[in-house]
Amino acid sequence: MAHLIEKTTEKPTPRSDGKPERGVELPHRAGWVGAVRDWIEERTGLFGFIKHHLDEPMPPGVGWWQTLGNLLLTLLIFQFITGFALAMFYAPTPDHAHESVKHITENVPLGAFIRGLHHWGSSFIMLVVVLHILRVFFWGAYKKPRELTWLVGVAIFQVILAFAFTGYLLIWDQKAYWATVVGTRFASTVPVIGEWLMHFLRGGKEVGALTLTRFYAIHIMLLPVALVLLTAAHLYLVRRLHIAGPVVPQKGAPQPFYPYQLFRDAVVVLVGMGLLMTCALLFKPPLYPVADPSGTAFTPRPEWYFLGLYELLKLMPPKLEVLGTVVIPGLVAIGMILLPWLDRSPSRHPAYRKWVIDVGLIVIFLIGTLTLKGILSEPPEVIPQSTSVSSSTTGSR
Amino acid sequence: MRSNGLEYQQQQPDSPIRRRVLSWLVGLINLGVIVGFIAPVLGFISSPARRRREPGEWVPVLNAHELKPGETRAVTYSLMVKDGYTTAEHRYSVYLYHRSDGTILAFDPSCPHLGCRVEFKERKQRYVCPCHGGVFDTEGNLVSGPPPTGLTKLPVRVDGGKIWIQRV
Repeated sequence: MAHLIEKTTEKPTPRSDGKPERGVELPHRAGWVGAVRDWIEERTGLFGFIKHHLDEPMPPGVGWWQTLGNLLLTLLIFQFITGFALAMFYAPTPDHAHESVKHITENVPLGAFIRGLHHWGSSFIMLVVVLHILRVFFWGAYKKPRELTWLVGVAIFQVILAFAFTGYLLIWDQKAYWATVVGTRFASTVPVIGEWLMHFLRGGKEVGALTLTRFYAIHIMLLPVALVLLTAAHLYLVRRLHIAGPVVPQKGAPQPFYPYQLFRDAVVVLVGMGLLMTCALLFKPPLYPVADPSGTAFTPRPEWYFLGLYELLKLMPPKLEVLGTVVIPGLVAIGMILLPWLDRSPSRHPAYRKWVIDVGLIVIFLIGTLTLKGILSEPPEVIPQSTSVSSSTTGSR
Repeated sequence: MRSNGLEYQQQQPDSPIRRRVLSWLVGLINLGVIVGFIAPVLGFISSPARRRREPGEWVPVLNAHELKPGETRAVTYSLMVKDGYTTAEHRYSVYLYHRSDGTILAFDPSCPHLGCRVEFKERKQRYVCPCHGGVFDTEGNLVSGPPPTGLTKLPVRVDGGKIWIQRV
């Protein structure tokens, strides 16, 4: 340990020289494994690069709260894997989408479990990304020099919302269809270009085959590429600028990332993935009857993470609808983007950022209340996934 | 910084053993999570490959009197096939050969080399694979080319005036 402390204390935290990160020299190893490793190392610097990042000193006081980013990254990677697996059995056409999802859930071995992981995974991701944002907000970790890290994080949050919105049309059931009808109608309330924007999103006047293929293409191609690029930028910035330590600097020496912080990360991932798998095992992902544009008996409601917005719209008088669809969500998004510049306080301590914290708490309270109101006012479930599904299939298409 | 480090060392004694134990736990937990997650995904995506093959069904393909002695004929037939989430009509073909002794042979038209569909050349009385040049005689035996074996023979019977083949 003496060696360890000496090593970690030699390096300033956070890095102050602003120079790019570099790998470290590794000792040569004997045997053919060592020879192969040296051969790769000499050409790529890969192992030195990994070791350099594993040895990254963590400021004292960094602990369990800093594990949320890693949990989010793990959930996103696993969501990509289950999405890839589901895409092997899925057909993005109105004639077959619902049928293929039903086949996955009922006939393919482990299908309900894998669909469950993907379905509940989106809720887990939403929960963890919000907790991660709140942690950064309350710790004031978006302040100089980490403004760009925050901005990229906000963009990642928007991409995750877009993933959720485009994802649930794909199963082409009543909930998916009507939530998309309502969701894309939001776009029509945008001043001047509203109608055009809605038609662009839908690929026509109505939600139909072209909406499904558009959403599928966005969901499996555009958004994953955007997410990979943004996540790479986010991780690069986090590593370059180092993790923001506690608001009040703690006594003690920095600890290397590996194994100390990585152990906490692993425990949190184990618990998080355990909970997700339990959810996927216990609760079959819902599948309502096939999308029916003529249906009147179905009350469309979005997923829980969009319920706040859904309740907000209920409160808006018709003339002020644009407030609920564009202005208020837009202001929240702009507020998040500008946060590092709106918060002028030089201190990261919440006590010295009173108005920012107060506004943040009010926004959190309002979103939380609206979401809770939406959850509590949920009407009785309407016949999820019945045997009459196939007759609806022929009836509606 | 250095004094803080020493202080910290005194407050929370660390050791190479603790570091090693934590390293092992990190490896074990991560390995467990990855295996626990990837195994069902692999089970899911490989499920079509693990499906048990049903014994081939018997299908009537031609009226027996239509196939003259010494004649080789390509016959197509349709079946309703369950294909993933859908059941659709699939078209298949088979070569029938009426031997001079009265027996009938049925050949799967897929080349045993790499699966291209072989073509029967009437004039030469040979099956020829257009992909890599495999050549077979009217009995389905390999004459030349890269295929490892002759054409696949299908069980065949005549019943009720019709020629039936069993799909493989």
